[in-house]
Amino acid sequence: MLPRHHGNGYLGAREKEKTLYSISPHKFQPRSTPSSLRRRRQLFFRLGIGLAGILFLWFVWPGASLFSIFSIGFLSSGEDFQLETVRYYDLSNVQGSPRGWEREERILLCAPLRDAEPHLPMFFSHLHNFTYPHHLIDLAFLVSDSKDQTLELLSKLSEELQAHEDPNMPFGEISIIEKDFGQKVNQDVESRHGFAAQASRRKLMAQARNWLLSAALRPYHSWVYWRDVDVETAPFTILEDLMRHNKDVIVPNVWRPLPDWLGGEQPYDLNSWQESETALALADTLDEDAVIVEGYAEYATWRPHLAYLRDPYGDPDMEMDIDGVGGVSILAKAKVFRAGVHFPAFSFQKHAETEGFGKMAKRLDFSVVGLPHYTIWHLYEPSVDDIRHMEEMEQERQAREKEELERVERAKKIKDQFADPNPQWEKDKADIQNQAMKEKKGKEQGQTALAEDEEPVAKPVVKGSSEGKTGAKVEAKAAKAKAQ
Amino acid sequence: MLSPSHSDSAASRLRRVNAASNPLSPPTSPFRKQNERTANGKRIPPPVVHYYMNNLTSTRDPVAHRETVLILTPLARFYQEYWDNLLALSYPHELITVGFIIPKNREGNAATAALQEQITKTQKYGPEKNRFASIIIERQDFDPPLASQTEAERHKMENQKVRRAAMAKARNSLLFTTLGPAISWVLWLDSDIVETPPTLIQDLASHEKPIIVANCFQRFTDPKTKLPAERPYDFNSWQDSEKAQELAAAMQPDEILLEGYHEMATYRVLMAHMAEVNGDPKFEIPLDGVGGTALLVKADVHRDGAMFPPFAFYHLIETEGFAKMAKRLGWAATGLPNYKVYHYNE
Repeated sequence: MLPRHHGNGYLGAREKEKTLYSISPHKFQPRSTPSSLRRRRQLFFRLGIGLAGILFLWFVWPGASLFSIFSIGFLSSGEDFQLETVRYYDLSNVQGSPRGWEREERILLCAPLRDAEPHLPMFFSHLHNFTYPHHLIDLAFLVSDSKDQTLELLSKLSEELQAHEDPNMPFGEISIIEKDFGQKVNQDVESRHGFAAQASRRKLMAQARNWLLSAALRPYHSWVYWRDVDVETAPFTILEDLMRHNKDVIVPNVWRPLPDWLGGEQPYDLNSWQESETALALADTLDEDAVIVEGYAEYATWRPHLAYLRDPYGDPDMEMDIDGVGGVSILAKAKVFRAGVHFPAFSFQKHAETEGFGKMAKRLDFSVVGLPHYTIWHLYEPSVDDIRHMEEMEQERQAREKEELERVERAKKIKDQFADPNPQWEKDKADIQNQAMKEKKGKEQGQTALAEDEEPVAKPVVKGSSEGKTGAKVEAKAAKAKAQ
Repeated sequence: MLSPSHSDSAASRLRRVNAASNPLSPPTSPFRKQNERTANGKRIPPPVVHYYMNNLTSTRDPVAHRETVLILTPLARFYQEYWDNLLALSYPHELITVGFIIPKNREGNAATAALQEQITKTQKYGPEKNRFASIIIERQDFDPPLASQTEAERHKMENQKVRRAAMAKARNSLLFTTLGPAISWVLWLDSDIVETPPTLIQDLASHEKPIIVANCFQRFTDPKTKLPAERPYDFNSWQDSEKAQELAAAMQPDEILLEGYHEMATYRVLMAHMAEVNGDPKFEIPLDGVGGTALLVKADVHRDGAMFPPFAFYHLIETEGFAKMAKRLGWAATGLPNYKVYHYNE
């Protein structure tokens, strides 16, 4: 409302200022503004351009743009709380392209969780670090049969993430889905990797994955990324790195670090492999419900595993066609899942879960690829089996170390016998100089030569003591290693 | 598009309570139009949403339990009779989401335009009780165009595998992008089904079967007697036979068994031929293959992974392969030979 009276000085000033920029009927106007005729012509011209633009848009997307979710922002200003009940999606826009971030392609990140409380803070720190635009990533978690505080912590961390002060931090929609399947199989490392439990465990895992995907996949997703929460180290750019390959299904190599004294590192995910004749022949002998699992002596498949082909200095972009995939970190085009490929919770070509997923994707002629030299690192949790294995390794290591020590000692002895004379020379020189100084004081030339002759006699004593010291040090080091 | 009505009925209250705050929400829920940005141009992050799927039920009395139904229709041609029949369904419309997938070709554009016109009429101007909770339209390019061919061309045996593989992919695309976390039942209803009992959903659900299919017939005028008559139409619902098993065993991995062709006599027991005059519409039979014309599935069956194989799965494809895959997952299929729905007559 404009004030009627201009009694107030401040308002008067504002009024004055205003007249500078607006057309006032009370003042003489130089011809700085266009004539009314010209203005009208301009108005018609602009209206014409606008109309042409609308017609053009109508021509390009007939009827569609009105319903597109992206137009909501434009249409809805000031009409909050109106219900929208019709959604229109063109699936040819969400096929997935190698530089998805440029086309604002949305990724669905799926993480199935069970008793995962200890890993969640690490997982969320990974989320923070993703370089793919966060607002284009929708997160979906399925929490099932958890006895710890997974759900509470997950809710807390998610809320914090969405309320982050940095506007680039919050993600797209975050869905937390609760569903219990009444799993009886234990999730601890020992029972998780035991052979007998594998088939039924894998089928239950598959079921959880399918529930998660079917509840969270939307028509606007171009990509789906499956990521285990217990990944310890991965490049921040992993989404872009995998996407660039433009494959339908792609996985990195998954290793795990070990303590140095256990060998430093080890292949972790053995579910990414290429099919072999032996395995196909084996599959034919098994009954309909049997599930072949990798990494167990019971099924010797002789398949080339992605994990074992790693070269730390190899080209990280190198690709390898595979048939089974591991589930630690899978990037797949959403169209793969839309076509019906899923994680078989039954024996599909004698495989289940992620390995069956790879097989089914292949069955539908999708490309399934692994990167042998692009590695991410799984968390290390020692198992009973591992510990036994480690003990063997430890014994081996001790034997090796003993041998090594002997070798070192031998080498040292040899070195001593043919010792490098340089340090001795220096020492001798210094001694000579000292002696010379002393002798200068005494001013007796004849005794100098005698002192020089005496020097070699003192040498062994010095050397012996120094050798004893290093020997003690080596022993102390060995003792320390053993204590570890 | 839809302004809140002043009549504060229970149904409209439910609509508003179920409305999501964000267009990223599951497509089965309506959503409130909102600016994604605040006044200062900052993006408002979408919310953290909890879904309690343990509470999801699919019972014999879905209306009483307020169970949500997703009706899915792959659409190649729009029939007004289909839409009218859909509107006539007596299941509470505020519990129904309808999803369509339409090919991106000229015919698909025409079908989309016709469909959108009807949708606007219903969702914007129609009586509140007719309005569905949510409607989803998806467009997709299908490798071999899912053009609606002439009936003769469509049924040629060699065309069948390609056509049904494309159809299976269309069904899967539609299903897995719309299912969401809140749906209890999925009703597959073909776009050329023009007549069903209005209580279709309640009737099929009352059997409380994971997968249940009605018998699909076609009305026609008998050319001899000039009288209206009906004939069986969908032959994909069947009980397996030993002969079919033998045929399958002799096949290459990529070959499929088809029903209704003289070149391939399977001797399966077809539900189409089991209808009795004045038979009990509640009479059930177990099935090994199902057709997709009017098929009610508990959403959990699809969530477990049962989909429509676009490849030869045990020498079966699409809806028939679906029944087999569901069986592998421990879900059995049931047929109602005397419960009829009617196919459009071209």
